Amino acid sequence: MRETMVIFRRELRSYFLSPIAYVFGLLFLAIVLFAASSMALVHGSQASMQSFFGMLPWVLLLFLPGLTMRLWAEERKSGTLELLMTFPVQISGLVIGKFAATLCFLAFLMVLTLGLPVTLDYYGSVDWPPVIAAYVASLLFTGSFVAVGMFWSSTTRDQIVAMLLSVVSLLVLFVLGYPTLLEAMAGWMPAVVVDVLNGVSPYKYFESIGRGVLDTRDVVYFACFCGFFLYANALVLQARRHKG
Amino acid sequence: MIEVEGLEKWYGFAQALKGISFSVQKGEVVGFLGPNGAGKSTTMKILTGYLLPTGGSASVAGFDVVADSLQVRRRIGYLPESTPLYTDMRVDDYLAFCADIRGVPRLKRNKAIGRAVELCGLSKVLGKNIVELSKGYKQRVGLAQAIVHEPPVLILDEPTSGLDPNQIVEVRKLIERLGEEHTVVLSTHYLQEVEKSCTRAIIVSQGEIVADGTQEELVATLPRGPLRARVRGPEENVLRQCNELLHGVPVGVIERGDGWIDYRIDVPEGNAPVVEAFARLVVKNGWDLLELVRERASLEDVFRNLTLDASKEAQSA
Repeated sequence: MRETMVIFRRELRSYFLSPIAYVFGLLFLAIVLFAASSMALVHGSQASMQSFFGMLPWVLLLFLPGLTMRLWAEERKSGTLELLMTFPVQISGLVIGKFAATLCFLAFLMVLTLGLPVTLDYYGSVDWPPVIAAYVASLLFTGSFVAVGMFWSSTTRDQIVAMLLSVVSLLVLFVLGYPTLLEAMAGWMPAVVVDVLNGVSPYKYFESIGRGVLDTRDVVYFACFCGFFLYANALVLQARRHKG
Repeated sequence: MIEVEGLEKWYGFAQALKGISFSVQKGEVVGFLGPNGAGKSTTMKILTGYLLPTGGSASVAGFDVVADSLQVRRRIGYLPESTPLYTDMRVDDYLAFCADIRGVPRLKRNKAIGRAVELCGLSKVLGKNIVELSKGYKQRVGLAQAIVHEPPVLILDEPTSGLDPNQIVEVRKLIERLGEEHTVVLSTHYLQEVEKSCTRAIIVSQGEIVADGTQEELVATLPRGPLRARVRGPEENVLRQCNELLHGVPVGVIERGDGWIDYRIDVPEGNAPVVEAFARLVVKNGWDLLELVRERASLEDVFRNLTLDASKEAQSA
């Protein structure tokens, strides 16, 4: 646990020392501004928040793999992974430390975007419960993306390969939660298969929480989803002890 | 301190270690010698808990490297080959991170870092980013990282490779100092390194240990060289008397100089008193003995002798 905290602190610090933090900061600022501008057009704070949470998953899909691709691939390439794996830390500690630091960094950026609803509330009124729920949903959704991106990063020493694999697998998971696609699939697939495929898509649960209802089942889903990929991540690292 | 018994490692269908066994006592500085791909790094990676062996066993400070991996890892300092470092960190932050993760208590941390910094001569670059450092300084940071938690065992994989001659001398001195407090296992290509800083050498070739002992012990395994004598005296007379009185030992002329001649005397193995007999001969005849040298085998000869044989065998097989 103590060692996990040491890893967590180092990773979090490296985010704030690297240019990537500023790139992502600007990205979030851009969508906030874009969402805010839609308020001027539609005249409604609700519309503005909806536009923000509507854009967020796509932005994460496109850019998050750029953040997670380096998590293990870089360590593997530079050889620091060997050093890391000879420190007295369990592999689970390494995985959880890195995951938590990345999520924490993204949560920090999300907290900064709270400026948008606060401003909206100042000029009009914001219905806070669904906004809070949408923020929670965004954080869980981000966590699931980080877990997938980190998993792919552990499988290769090439960051670009890790990024491409992440984008593709996230895109597939993402669109499986899209109603239009599901309707199309229902035409030629058994209903059970469609249900199962839809059931694994984080987007479905993001939507569900985003509607303002924080259901335990949705939270459990995200916990299982992250748990699965983090466990797979640990297995990949453990396998390195056999291969070298 | 380190016990290795029948250690085996397969990478797919290639056998990197063919069941090696050795032990290292507390306070020893052991040099691992061998050509590239001999299995030096693999052995070290297994000792540090990074790789799992395919067969056999290894223990460090009484803990098994597989069953008690965490206990082993707490007791070693490791400098991997090519010195990987978090180059985006500052030297002091990096050492603090390494101390923290190795479980150095907060209260003792500054003292521990101070000791490592002092030993490795890093005080001038503490506030610099690692990426800005020269190769020599990076190597020292890697060594400081390995000793910051004062481990009983140090494992250094090619600690001087890629350094310039001055840096090599510095790092060697540092290793000598570290050897006073730690048990050290280091691998190297440089034979002088073993001659200078190690108490013992283990030579590996093709995944097997081909020699294990102190420098003197290893050199003693080689046949001793011929005797070379520079004598001022009549050539035929010297040769004739030698052939008569040196119990049939072959004697030949190597070189004729200005009034002197170099003779080569092939002393046979065993305890025949050839040197004594030759010296008496010279004195009795009143010749002048200008030089009498026994060609000595070096660790380099041992190394070449052992590793070249093995690679030839492998090629012909």
